[in-house]
Amino acid sequence: MLESGVDPAGLAQLLALPFMQRALLAGLLTGLLGGVLGSFAVLRQLSFFSDALGHSALLGISLGILLGLNPTVVLIPFAVLFALGVNQLAGRSQLPTDALLNIVYSSSLALAVLLLSRVRTYKGGIQQLLFGDILGVSWLDLGVILVLLLGAGGYLLLSRRSQILLTLDEPLAISRGVAAGWHRLVFIVVLAVVVAISIKAVGVLLISAFVVIPACASRLVSRGFGTYVFVAALLGASCAVIGLLASGALDLPSGPSVVVVQLFGFLLALLLAPRRRFSRP
Amino acid sequence: MAKMILEVSHLTVCREGATAVDDVSFSLEAESETALVGPNGAGKSTLVQAILGVLPRQSGEVRLLGHALGARGQLPAAVRDQVAYLPQTLTLRGRFPLSVAEFVGLGWERAGLALPWRGRCARRSAVALALAKVGGEDLAPRLISDLSTGQLKRALLAFCVVRPRRLLVLDEAQAGLDAQAAEQFHGLLFDLRRSEGWTILQVSHDLEMVRRTCSRVLCLNRSLRCSGPPDHALSPAQLERLYGRGWVPYHHHHPGASRS
Repeated sequence: MLESGVDPAGLAQLLALPFMQRALLAGLLTGLLGGVLGSFAVLRQLSFFSDALGHSALLGISLGILLGLNPTVVLIPFAVLFALGVNQLAGRSQLPTDALLNIVYSSSLALAVLLLSRVRTYKGGIQQLLFGDILGVSWLDLGVILVLLLGAGGYLLLSRRSQILLTLDEPLAISRGVAAGWHRLVFIVVLAVVVAISIKAVGVLLISAFVVIPACASRLVSRGFGTYVFVAALLGASCAVIGLLASGALDLPSGPSVVVVQLFGFLLALLLAPRRRFSRP
Repeated sequence: MAKMILEVSHLTVCREGATAVDDVSFSLEAESETALVGPNGAGKSTLVQAILGVLPRQSGEVRLLGHALGARGQLPAAVRDQVAYLPQTLTLRGRFPLSVAEFVGLGWERAGLALPWRGRCARRSAVALALAKVGGEDLAPRLISDLSTGQLKRALLAFCVVRPRRLLVLDEAQAGLDAQAAEQFHGLLFDLRRSEGWTILQVSHDLEMVRRTCSRVLCLNRSLRCSGPPDHALSPAQLERLYGRGWVPYHHHHPGASRS
C-alpha cells in the first residue's frame, strides 16, 4: 500500500488534527457526489462538460477576487449561468458541443489569467486555485457539500427512471412521458453546482477526474445500473480517503494524490473488466 | 362502432425551417394494423414522432385514445401508459451498464417521481412475464449494450409488453435484421398484437411484409398521397406516383401476383 512506509503512530497523530478530519470528510463527500453524478454524466457524454466548467470557473473566481467577494459566493451563480448558457448554445448552434465547450472554456481561461495578472495580491495563490486546497476546507464548506449531496442524491433517486431513459434514448424517454428538456436542464445545473463547490477542495484542473474516473472504472465492471452507481460512489469516496491519507502521510499535494489513487482504481477495473469480443461494431 | 385509437387532423410539422409533414389527416381503428410507407426523407419518422409528442408540431391536432396531445407533447399519464414506441434502434456508445431486466422494468414504471423500490415485487414478476412473452428469458441478466440487433428488438418488445398497451408505434422495426430474423420478429409481433389487442402503426420499407401483414397502408411523401388496403395503396400505379418511375423498392415483387 501507499502508506506502508509510515509508522502507525504518525498516522494516528495526523488523524487527530481537526483540519485533517475535515479534509477526510470533505474528500469522502466530494468523492461520493462525484461518483454518483459522474455515473450519469459519463453515459451522457458530459465528461468534457465538467472539465470545461472546471477551467471556466477560474474566470468566476477571478471576478470574485476583483470584486472583493468570497470566491464560493461568485462560483455558484457563475456555474449555473455557465450551464444554462452552454445548454442554450448547444441546443441552437449547428456546431458540435465539444467544439463549443472548447471555445467557451479556453476564452474564459484566457480572460481569467488576464484578470488575475491585474490583481497583484493574488499572484501567489494561483497554484491553490489550480490544484485545490482540501486541507483548508472549513466546517461551512463541509455543510454546503453535505446539503448538496443530499439534494442531488434525492433528486437522482426520485427521478431515476427519467434519468436512465433520458440517458438511453431521448425520443424513447419522451414517448414514455419524461419531461426531457426539464430533466436535462436540472441535471446539468446540478452537475455545474457540484463541480463549482468541489473546486475549492480539488482545484480547477483536477475536478473533472472526480466526476469521470470513478464512474468510468465502475462502468467497465458493473453488470447492472444499481451496482454501477453504487460502485462509482464507493470508488469515488474510497479513492478520495486513501489519496488524502497518503498525501498527509507522505507530505504530497492532496488533489493530485487522490487522482493518482483514482487512476490505480481505474487500471484495476481495466484488468477486471470482461474481455470484449470484437465481433460486433 | 369501433373506437378510434388515434385521430390525426391537419397535422403539419416543420423541421429545420422546412415543412416535413404537410396537412396530414388519418385515424386508426382499434386493433388495426397500419403501415406508413414512403421514400427516404418523406417525413415518416417525423410524423410518428410528432404523434408521440417527441417533436413539436406547427399546426393541426392529435388525439390519442380520445385525449388531445398538448402543444408540448403533454398527455395524461394514464394515456401515456397505454401508448408505446419502438425506436429503430438505441444509439448506445460503448458499454452501457443496464441489464435487460432493469430496462424492461423501466417500461413498467409510470411517469413521474418515485422511489426506486416502489412496487418492486410487482415489477419483477411483470418483467419476467414480459420477457417470457417475447421468448427472451435468457436475456434478463445481459447488458443492453451487449445484445445483437435481434436480441435488442426482443428487449424493446418486452419493454412495450410489460404493461397493457393500446397503441404501439414502430419506427422501422425490421431495420438491421436479416430476412429470417425479420420474419421471426414479425411473427412475434403478429402473435402479440392478437393476444394483447394492440393497435399498430408502423413505419416500414418492406412492402412485401406490409402487403402480407397490414390491413391498411398510408403512403406519405410530405403529404398523405393515398391510403387504403394494401391492394389499392400498393398497386403499381400508386407506387410509381409515390416513389417515382423506376424507383419502386423491392423489384423482386411481381405486381400481377398479389391476390385479394
